Amino acid sequence: MTLDPIISIAGALALAVILASAALHKLQAPAWFERQLDAYQLLPTSLTTVTARALPVLEGALALGLLFQPSRIISAILAAGLLALYTLAMITNLLRGRHDLDCGCAGPNSQQPLHPLLLIRNGLLIALAILAGLPVAERTLGLFDGFVVLAAGAAILLIYAATDALLANRPRLLALTGR
Amino acid sequence: MTALLISNILLWCLLIALALVVFGLIRQIGVLHARIAPAGALMVDKGVAVNQPAPQVTAEDLLGRPVNFGYANDRTQLLFFLSPTCPICKSLLPALRAIDKARDDLEVVYISDGEPEQQRKLIKEFGLEGARYVVSPQVGMTYQIGKLPYAVMIDRQGLLKAKGLVNSREHLDSLFETEHLGAATLQEYLNKPSPSMHTPS
Repeated sequence: MTLDPIISIAGALALAVILASAALHKLQAPAWFERQLDAYQLLPTSLTTVTARALPVLEGALALGLLFQPSRIISAILAAGLLALYTLAMITNLLRGRHDLDCGCAGPNSQQPLHPLLLIRNGLLIALAILAGLPVAERTLGLFDGFVVLAAGAAILLIYAATDALLANRPRLLALTGR
Repeated sequence: MTALLISNILLWCLLIALALVVFGLIRQIGVLHARIAPAGALMVDKGVAVNQPAPQVTAEDLLGRPVNFGYANDRTQLLFFLSPTCPICKSLLPALRAIDKARDDLEVVYISDGEPEQQRKLIKEFGLEGARYVVSPQVGMTYQIGKLPYAVMIDRQGLLKAKGLVNSREHLDSLFETEHLGAATLQEYLNKPSPSMHTPS
């Protein structure tokens, strides 16, 4: 049984917007992202600048690729790989015990320390990428399909943004209750 | 079939509306957290006493206009001591601008210290071009400001009515309360026996 195309297109649409916004905040604050990458202490210093410049470009290209039918599957696979790399970087630093490291997930304006919950969030994003890359059944799409794709994409994005805000509030709540 | 279709469209719309509401709620919780987070001590016990004449200084603001501190004036003065390198000072600037705009009887003066380049950046970032912005370490020294962000309120007669370390919008508001109530600090006011309470004599 193959997947209905609207499920995978909706997933691709949501993932494209998430990747594009990630690329945008990295491009807006290149120096900040370079410091952030350096703080993860995974790359040799000579490679930090190159990687910091290349990652947002890659994210942007994947976002664009996800939107179009011919490049969708390969973009989805690459996006899943990229997200898995990010997750690995987080796991490495969590294993090093660096719970105070800013994850750098949502731009310079929102600080968010690394936490295992972020791994779950990334896991869900990877699942979304896999969903967008699965082979789909051939069928012609009508107006209503277009509506469902847009609506589902919007719902996924809003719930993602809400989850992100909840995760960002968590350390503040902990600071407030003193636990 | 049509009924199912309509029901489906309606459900999608409601789901998105619900997700919007949830998102908005979580954002509001975030804003509330940011507002209640820094709660610090209000009064730093040094410098000029409250309800005493404020020390008289004159300085020039960035537009070259002279600003008099501690003289009799037609408006109450709120001096806000800040520095471009102090993040909490920056977080209070929008609230100060709102206060400045809302009250005609109040003159907000920003008193800063530090490098001209950083001052320009700060003024641009918070739209303080028209505001009374003084860069002078001398004023801070006269009022013996040790900690930032610090606010001092001087009434029309030149009396220092309230002062304190302000870490949040609530602390700023408490200055207005103390000015209104005539007590030195809000703590002092709260510790006073309430006049409406009748004690048996």
